[in-house]
Amino acid sequence: MQASRKSIKPLPYILIFPTAVFVALFTAWPVLLSIYQSFFRQRMNIAKFREPTFVGWGNYVDLFTDPYFIEVIKNTLSYILGTVPFSIILGFLFALLVNRKVRGIGFFRLAFFHPMVLPMVSAATIWLFFFTPDYGLFNSTLRFLGYTGPENWTGNPNLALLSVVIVAIWKNSGYYMVFYLAGLQNLPSDVYEAAALDGANGWQTLWRITFPLLRRTTLFITIIAFIDSFRTVDHIFVLTSGGPSRSSTVLLFELWLERFEYQDIGASAAITVIFVVILLAFTVTNFITSDRREA
Amino acid sequence: MKQKKLYQIFAVILILGLLIGACASAPAAEPVEEEAAPVEEAAPAEEEAEAEEAVMEPVTFQVFYPVAVDAPIAAILNGYIEEFQAEYPYITVEPVFSGGYGDVQTAISTTIDGGGEPPALGVMLATALYDLINADYIAPLDGYVAGMENGDAYEADFLPAFLANSYYDDQLWSIPFQRSAVVLYYNVDMFAAAGLEPPTSWETWAEAAQALTVQEGDATNWGLQFPSGWPYWLFQPLAIGNGQNILNDDCTVVFDDPSVIEAVQFYNDLSAVYGAMPAGVQSAWPTAATDFSSGSTAMVVHTSGSLTGILAQAEFEVGVMAMPGKEAGTSASVPGGGNFYIMKGAAQEQQDAAWKFVEFVSRPEYVADYSINTGYVASRTSAYDTEAMLAYVAEVPQALATRDALQFAGAELTTQNLGQVRGIFHDYIQRAFNGEMTPADAMAAAQVEADAALADFCP
Repeated sequence: MQASRKSIKPLPYILIFPTAVFVALFTAWPVLLSIYQSFFRQRMNIAKFREPTFVGWGNYVDLFTDPYFIEVIKNTLSYILGTVPFSIILGFLFALLVNRKVRGIGFFRLAFFHPMVLPMVSAATIWLFFFTPDYGLFNSTLRFLGYTGPENWTGNPNLALLSVVIVAIWKNSGYYMVFYLAGLQNLPSDVYEAAALDGANGWQTLWRITFPLLRRTTLFITIIAFIDSFRTVDHIFVLTSGGPSRSSTVLLFELWLERFEYQDIGASAAITVIFVVILLAFTVTNFITSDRREA
Repeated sequence: MKQKKLYQIFAVILILGLLIGACASAPAAEPVEEEAAPVEEAAPAEEEAEAEEAVMEPVTFQVFYPVAVDAPIAAILNGYIEEFQAEYPYITVEPVFSGGYGDVQTAISTTIDGGGEPPALGVMLATALYDLINADYIAPLDGYVAGMENGDAYEADFLPAFLANSYYDDQLWSIPFQRSAVVLYYNVDMFAAAGLEPPTSWETWAEAAQALTVQEGDATNWGLQFPSGWPYWLFQPLAIGNGQNILNDDCTVVFDDPSVIEAVQFYNDLSAVYGAMPAGVQSAWPTAATDFSSGSTAMVVHTSGSLTGILAQAEFEVGVMAMPGKEAGTSASVPGGGNFYIMKGAAQEQQDAAWKFVEFVSRPEYVADYSINTGYVASRTSAYDTEAMLAYVAEVPQALATRDALQFAGAELTTQNLGQVRGIFHDYIQRAFNGEMTPADAMAAAQVEADAALADFCP
């Protein structure tokens, strides 16, 4: 008995085996294959380049010397900076708003949450009509509020990216609200009682107690918001097709273009690798910093 | 005991895992092997084919098709398939709805690149021709046409503007199926009320659009909407109407010709000079058609495929015509839409069965029926002589106008490396539309980049 206990126990490995197989097959293997393919030139729509030829770092050099790809990276950064902080802040505010005991509060929670339930493509189709110049609901509302600027949201190169950001924020903040709401309802009430005794005002309670106590929720939401902002492109297909003049093309949309529009397997593999590296760097950093904070 | 049992479970899971691994590793195989796979399967099949032909061994094939218009395509196709299978009891057709045109091509190309067996038949854009040939996905159809009783007559019966996208290297690669054309829809009642004639030149067109633009409170009822979110297709008739299409052949694009630049300038003038349509890029494909049929826009440039939807909604007389050219009396249009392609990676008997289906649904009566029920332009001349079609055009004369517009059609932008060349054109023409560059600068830059993008493809 003693000896067998010291030897390796098989059960944990058995239990983890199916997951490991799936991760290996559907995550690790495609990533390795992409890394391999990214060092080859292979274009399906050019007969002479159909067979892969080794080009070393060629695909990466081509991408990073292409001013247009740099533009795509910039668009992606703007998209992330536009969607992640705003949808998190809005999610937090919505959660504060609906975290009270008022009759009919369920309706308001539902109202904030419902964009999440809609599929992205139908949400974007609805927004396409909202954005319509002249009589679109979005423009009518803005005009009512005194807005006199350009109304051609999806066709204006300076507004197209903003319009897909707006749709993403509208779609996601209700989702993040649910996490914050769950976090808020799990907060201990004694600290609030203590704060009230000490004469803390509403702002101090919010900023010094509620927000710090929700740190773990915020960290979690930041991670999913960041990853979401890389993953969602459906609304771009519907709203702008990456245009006008590619002004709303982000990394994942570009990946689709390279692979399926330009049939460039090498370049699309290289973008996939860049993609994985960014997400991996972000996730690992998050793990490290959050572990440190716990300790 | 317990441990032994656990090891047994472990062994079962291991075997299952290996099985999954074996299945899943097939699509990830090396490209070199992928190419070999279909050939290996096709070779023995070919030998068997002759033997099978005689006894009519049952054969099943798939057809991947898109839905790109507002019509019950799935129900219509299923009806044709039933009638086809009644005539060819040994063939079973499995229709697979696969999204839009792009999705069909993506599904087929990933299947083939991954080493899988593609569907025998696919409906893809007529302009996908070179990409499909270069990737070695499709089979030429000359052999099948030559094997027909009157193959030459069959081929000659298709509208020339449609069949033009089917040839490469003196071979026939596709059969027109659901084809459309760019047309100008106009509100006949509004024209009559304003005492205007249908436009015959750029000038009369712009003036009519200007006269019919009405400010109503905050909103403008435009004289003309001309969508440009995906601009090359609707723009082409402007260039053609000025005497210069934007391409010469699969290796030569003509973006920086003065006539093309003038066409871009005319598009800008319609808003800047005449104030007759919204300024800048109009990413309003779906709303433009409904604005027209609801009567708030007097004219719209759109696909002939919207005819059925517009006629169903409009409470006024709808006029349909080719786009006016620059000079008085000239007109222009450009074809669009999808063709049948047969995939060479499918087993030979499946390809043969697929051709039988293509032949079946391209019979004049089916071509006519498909046109009547979907709004697509009937692709064969003889389809217009069928009883059903004659009855239909007596009721809906606009359907003839879409066909007639095609007499003035130039070739749709179809080049090598199409995705990239088209992307470059879109990029720069939209800069010109949005006033970020002058038409001349934008088209010159587009020409340089497109030439570079074509260099690898064209000796």
